[in-house]
This record gives sequence, structure tokens and C-alpha cells, in this order.
Amino acid sequence: MQKFLLNEKVKKPQKEFFISYTNSEQSLIGGLVIFPVFSIVQLIPKNMFSFSGTENGQSEENPRFKMILWMFVAGTRGGANRARILSLIKETPMNAHQIAKSLDLDHKTVAHHLKILTKNEFVKKGEKTYGAEYQLSNIMSKNQNVLEEIMEKIGTK
Amino acid sequence: MVDFMLAAVVSAFLNIGLLGVAIGTYVQNLRVIRSYYTSGLVLVAFLLMIQNIVIVLFWFTLYMDDKALMMSADIVAHYLFAINVIQTIGLSVLVWITRR
Repeated sequence: MQKFLLNEKVKKPQKEFFISYTNSEQSLIGGLVIFPVFSIVQLIPKNMFSFSGTENGQSEENPRFKMILWMFVAGTRGGANRARILSLIKETPMNAHQIAKSLDLDHKTVAHHLKILTKNEFVKKGEKTYGAEYQLSNIMSKNQNVLEEIMEKIGTK
Repeated sequence: MVDFMLAAVVSAFLNIGLLGVAIGTYVQNLRVIRSYYTSGLVLVAFLLMIQNIVIVLFWFTLYMDDKALMMSADIVAHYLFAINVIQTIGLSVLVWITRR
């Protein structure tokens, strides 16, 4: 996921919208006749699903990442606690025990949340095997204002 | 021979159960986070639930009325079965993602 979300700077924005990789007209028409279904896929603009929310990367907020984070927090069990964990380790990396203590949660719960958060690349795990510290991943720390927006909603109740 | 109509209704009941689980989770989140997003999730799941309840009612109407209607309904029953089973698969994936 993260590689997709971060690749906007490597690729330059695509100017042409339709069929950038079929060179001649003939191949397009032939494709439309022989494989009508596959040609429809070619008609989709290439950068439609490339996760490049902003063209030049000037604005930090990525609308697609915003959608993913909202779904993760609002659409899963214990999502609010996951958002709390993310905002807790925003400044200082912490290990599972410290997080459990400061949020007053069960250690097992926190360990599970951290496992899921790591799997979805919201946080990065440290190198240590015992008591590893967790910190925000690149894409997450870039889009911290999205998290703040969600935390405001949790705070007002 | 498999009774497609019965299988379709069983799968509709399964859908209602799965949507109940999803709505339960979404409502728990709605109580903590009040926003357009959480209320929208509850609304969507609720509407899908109504859809499945209507399917069950539809089945009841078909089978309670008369024999002739039932016979003609059985001809197209596998379509309803396919619709419901695909929805069951989709909803189980959704619930798995939601509850893990």
C-alpha cells in the first residue's frame, strides 16, 4: 500500500488521458473488435488509481489516504482505540507496554491493535525483538492532519 | 436436486445475520465517533439489511399464495440463489475485515 501511495514523486503526472500505451490507431480498433472487454480496461485513465492525490506534492493531505484512514478507524472494531494509539505515538515512539499503560487498556488488546496497524502499514515496528518501539510510518506521519481531524471527532463524543 | 429457492432464503438469513454483526460494530463506533462517515456506514448496512428482509418476504409471498406461482418461481430460482450467495460471500469478507 505504502509504495503505491508514495510513488507520486517518482512518476511525473500523466498528461494524456486516453490510451497512453497503445501507439497506433490500428491496434486500438483491432483490440476493440477482438477483445471488447479488455479494451474497456484500457480506456480507463492510467492515473485514476495511482493514489496520487496531489499533483506536485505541495499539499500534504492525500484524499485517498484520508478515505483509508477513515474506513480503518470508523469501520473496524476498536477503531477508536486504534486512532488513540496512532495519536499517542505521534511524537514519541513507544512500546506496547507503555501504550497499554497510558491508554489504560489491556496489553493483549494493544498488542493485537499494533499487529493490525503494522500489517496495514500505519506504524513501523522497531528492530528490537523484545519491547520493540512503534512509530508512525512515512505516509501516516505525512497525513497527520487527517488523524487530528478524526481525533477531534472522538474528543467531542 | 438442490432446492435453489430454499438455499437462496437460507443465504438471505445468513446475510441478515452478517449485516447484524456489521451494524453492531458500526453502532459501537458511532457512539464514540459521531461523524458523517460512521453514520453513513450504519445507514448503508441498514439499507442492505432491509433489502434482505424484503427478499425473505418475497419468498414467503411466493410460497404461501398458490401452486402455479410457485412452479414458475422455481424456474428462475437459481438466479435469486446466485444473487444471494454472492452477497453472502461479499458480506463475510466485509465482516472479517471489520471484526479482526
